[in-house]
Amino acid sequence: MNQYVRMIVVLMIISIASGAVLALSYEATNPKIQEQARQTLEQSVLNVIPGATKMEVVEKQDMTIYVGIDDQGNKKGISFKATGSGFNGPIEIMVGYNPREGKLTGIQILSMSETPGLGAKIKEEAFTKQFTQKPVEDEFTVKEDVEAISGATISSTAVADAIKASLDKIVKIYPVGGDF
Amino acid sequence: MQLFKDFINGLWNENPIFRMVIGICSALAVTTSANNGIAMGMALTFVLTCSSIFISLLRHIIPDKVRIPCYIIVVATFTTVVDLFMKAYFPSLYEVMGIFIPLIVVNCIVLARAEAFASKVGPVRAAADALGMGLGYTWAITLISMIRELMGAGTLFGYQVMSDSFTPWVIGILPPGAFIVMGILVGLINMITRKKVKDTHCQ
Repeated sequence: MNQYVRMIVVLMIISIASGAVLALSYEATNPKIQEQARQTLEQSVLNVIPGATKMEVVEKQDMTIYVGIDDQGNKKGISFKATGSGFNGPIEIMVGYNPREGKLTGIQILSMSETPGLGAKIKEEAFTKQFTQKPVEDEFTVKEDVEAISGATISSTAVADAIKASLDKIVKIYPVGGDF
Repeated sequence: MQLFKDFINGLWNENPIFRMVIGICSALAVTTSANNGIAMGMALTFVLTCSSIFISLLRHIIPDKVRIPCYIIVVATFTTVVDLFMKAYFPSLYEVMGIFIPLIVVNCIVLARAEAFASKVGPVRAAADALGMGLGYTWAITLISMIRELMGAGTLFGYQVMSDSFTPWVIGILPPGAFIVMGILVGLINMITRKKVKDTHCQ
């Protein structure tokens, strides 16, 4: 066989075989991957809305809102994703909000790449619990009504700013005291 | 005996991290905790062994001029399979290792062993060599990550081993810590091997 034809044929066969293997493993793993992603999301929604046992996804004015519902079917609160830029990259936060009381119900950091040992402490409960029961009218200014992590002012500010920015949009859709 | 020699080679004499110093980008980046080290090592060992066996089997079929693209396709396929299965079954591990699993494709150890060894010998020897290299990589990065985790967090495999009064040396889990720990280890191993050569009058 001509060596050029041989080169093309061999490369092609290897590529086709590899394509087939990839397609099969994608088919085998994709449902599981989707399921994992959904579970992680649901878990974070339930974490920031106390009392909720399942979630419902609502699209409103190009914001995705997750409504937390308890066993009796009562709505316990809503939650949404807030994004801010931290010291090393984006920070993604799940924020729980109860419009009836006008207070946050909790926050959870979904992803971040802050400095280990310093900024990464924004993930810890010692930092996140200060946002629970925080009235949404607050300023969310670090060192005034938000306590910063020492040595990680930028990361702390990023979290507070991100929450405040998304909250401003959410409060227009779900005003304080209103129903949801 | 030859098989055993091939296997041992990667563990010590030609350890990819400490002796050949190849494929260290992942070794420096993911070694922040001992669990990561082991998981990364296993992922690489799997990809390396599977692709070495395949490349060895195909060594008479693959034309010389297109051997590198062929190797890369084989390696990339196995890497993507590992990537997908890890995402599906070990999501928390996948989150930490993120980009470094797909990057096994361009890890020089895999291509170096394909080019220098697997393409010249039969599948059994290729597998022995790949397992040795993979395990050599695994023990090396697990050692680095254990030291870094102990320094930077006071834990080992996630368990607290240092007393509460221990102040973590955060530099251990920051990028500079990786270079410091690896540099010291390479130096130590060079020292050990140098002594051995002197003893046997081989110089």
